[in-house]
Amino acid sequence: MSGVMDSGPGNAFYFDGRSSKRRTVTLRLGEALEIEEHGDRLAVWPYADIRRADSPSGKLRLACTSAPALARLEIRDVVLAAELVARCKKLEEHVLGGRGVATIVGWSLAATVSIILVVLFGVPLAADRLAPLVPASFERRLGEVADSQVKVVFDGKLCENAAGRRAFEKLVNTLRESAGMDTSVQSGVLSTAIPNAFALPGGKVYVLDGLLAKAENVDEVAGILAHELGHLQHRDSLRAVIHNSGTSFLIGLLFGDITGSGAVIFASRTLVNASHSREAEHDADSFAIETMHRLGRPTKPMGELMFRITGKEGDKGLSLIASHPMTEDRLARMAREDRPASGPPLLTAEEWRALKSICSTSAKL
Amino acid sequence: MHEMSWTPIGPPQPPPRPVPPPMPVAFTGGRREFFDLVKRGAGLEFITLGFYRFWLATDMRRHLWSNTEIDGDAAEYTGRGKELLIGFLVALAILVPIYLAYFLVGLEAERAQAFASLPLVAFFYLFGQFAIFRARRYRLTRTVWRGVRFWMSGSGWAYAGMAALWGLLVVVTLGPALPWRAAALERYKMRHSYYGDLQGKFEGRGWEFFKRGWWLWLLTPVAFYLLPLAPFIYGAYKAVEWRWWLSGIRFGEVRLESTLKRSALIGLYWKVTGWIVVLGLVFAAWLALSAGLAASMSATSFKEFFATQEFARSIPFLVFLGLGYLLFALAINVVIRVYLMRDLWVRVLGSTIVHGIEATANVSARGELANALGEGFADGLDVGGF
Repeated sequence: MSGVMDSGPGNAFYFDGRSSKRRTVTLRLGEALEIEEHGDRLAVWPYADIRRADSPSGKLRLACTSAPALARLEIRDVVLAAELVARCKKLEEHVLGGRGVATIVGWSLAATVSIILVVLFGVPLAADRLAPLVPASFERRLGEVADSQVKVVFDGKLCENAAGRRAFEKLVNTLRESAGMDTSVQSGVLSTAIPNAFALPGGKVYVLDGLLAKAENVDEVAGILAHELGHLQHRDSLRAVIHNSGTSFLIGLLFGDITGSGAVIFASRTLVNASHSREAEHDADSFAIETMHRLGRPTKPMGELMFRITGKEGDKGLSLIASHPMTEDRLARMAREDRPASGPPLLTAEEWRALKSICSTSAKL
Repeated sequence: MHEMSWTPIGPPQPPPRPVPPPMPVAFTGGRREFFDLVKRGAGLEFITLGFYRFWLATDMRRHLWSNTEIDGDAAEYTGRGKELLIGFLVALAILVPIYLAYFLVGLEAERAQAFASLPLVAFFYLFGQFAIFRARRYRLTRTVWRGVRFWMSGSGWAYAGMAALWGLLVVVTLGPALPWRAAALERYKMRHSYYGDLQGKFEGRGWEFFKRGWWLWLLTPVAFYLLPLAPFIYGAYKAVEWRWWLSGIRFGEVRLESTLKRSALIGLYWKVTGWIVVLGLVFAAWLALSAGLAASMSATSFKEFFATQEFARSIPFLVFLGLGYLLFALAINVVIRVYLMRDLWVRVLGSTIVHGIEATANVSARGELANALGEGFADGLDVGGF
């Protein structure tokens, strides 16, 4: 394709980018593209500077990098358009092509990987480092919020039988003093059949009545209580709060607006948090074992109580996801660490009976 | 007896002076083309876990803008995905510390008094309105027609303040103030909008909007009980809103008019509802299938697997759940983009007439580009608007 070619009239329109005036122009395809109106030359566009602009199909719209940014040339003649396109070697250079998309995909994957790495390694580290820096007063406030939620979930019935209460306090104080913790620790028994116990941020431990009902001796309950005191000592709830919110935020960032916040975030967070809390449980077990050793009481009963509650877990699905270590592994550990009783019993037989019925008599009052 | 017809008395009237005919607006884009665009976009969103959204939004706008022809010349969208990404990152840098402060202050306030965190919600509402204004400014400055861009002045915070005060009035009056709020906000936005050196104006009155739509407001409580009514009511409401909005827009001597019928958009909302139901059923079937699969992989008996909520912790199930949910959300996005973006755009444009287009024959270019910060905030805060 060589030589000069002129367009016929009425096939090309030019907007100079300074005004909205539509000019009917004649094009000369010479060394460069010459744009003329009634014989006056309006602009000369070098072919190498010409880029395609968005247009409806059937109309070719061009821009030029060396002309005003919004100057546009529109060509509605197919033959002329083809001639011109053949001369403009860099027509599509600015278009986001396959390579551009590949770049976006590549960097997105890199961002995803780095977010996942931060979630797996950075957030737990940050939670561990930040937790000691959080003032105790702030932690207590978190605890108060959690406490009111707990009371709603478990119907808010605190067991208040006087004799049972005395026995419970004696047990908690013995464990607390042995572990060297101060008197800020609060504790209580909630009336519900669910066999469980948990620690809240800011120093509160709850034992659920269902756990007492399943316990056969005081050492079993003492072990569980010591385990929860371990969580308090390590400020695990606070770390879990930091950990959870950090993880939710980062995963939310990752998925952005395609899902809002929802099932994907929940699913991924469950996976991540489980591995973190397994570690915390292991440490709380160590704390419980040490405390029981110091009191000269056996550790195996605690494992037996847990085993009685959960049953054998080993052949249920994948252990990677469980938030606690598997009960049989914990029982084995408690049994390994078990020493014959060398200290006095933690409660008398009468106190133990009172503790067992801490909730039943309160109902009568 | 009544006369059935009459003849004018006196000499015949001279024919009226030739007025340039009102100009309809045309849309030339193929539906298939747009569908392919959003389908590919959804696939890329899946691979990039959502990061492609900035480029997809840009591609959709480029398609819609460049196929919209006014007086024979198509518009052009000159924004790019990279600008949206940068806007998002900047917004993130501003929002993250605010969120953190919000969490701390909220905890403190909520402890002291149950309603104490309300001012904080108001603060985020302000932020959202600011985002709506600034996002519109971004889009407007990327809109080019005949080599001249639209642009916008005005203050995002002043707008947010106005929107909040009017919003308060709407809440206090339980709804009826809504048309006047829309009119006041639109007046502010349009007064600060320009096409080159042509200043915009909004002439829609709250009263006109109210007259057309008050019965929808009365029907809304009914729709809460009779859910199948909802697409009818919402579709009619949107049609009334579009028509009123378009008919109020002026740029210098240019006047828009819309003849959109109340029933024009109801079909679209029904189609979207239908597709969401179908996709929801597919998703439910997928969940049941993957739960069954996960249960059979675990050694626990079927009954125990579900009774103990073990399924909520099973890895294969969670992976299937996440995957299925992602695909479900993306499919819904495709449906919404095809019907409520493209088809709605075409129907609304089809009803639009431009009067006085000759005023745009020689408009001088003015105005600066605005950044995409507003779009970033809108993305981060999940607000939308025009």
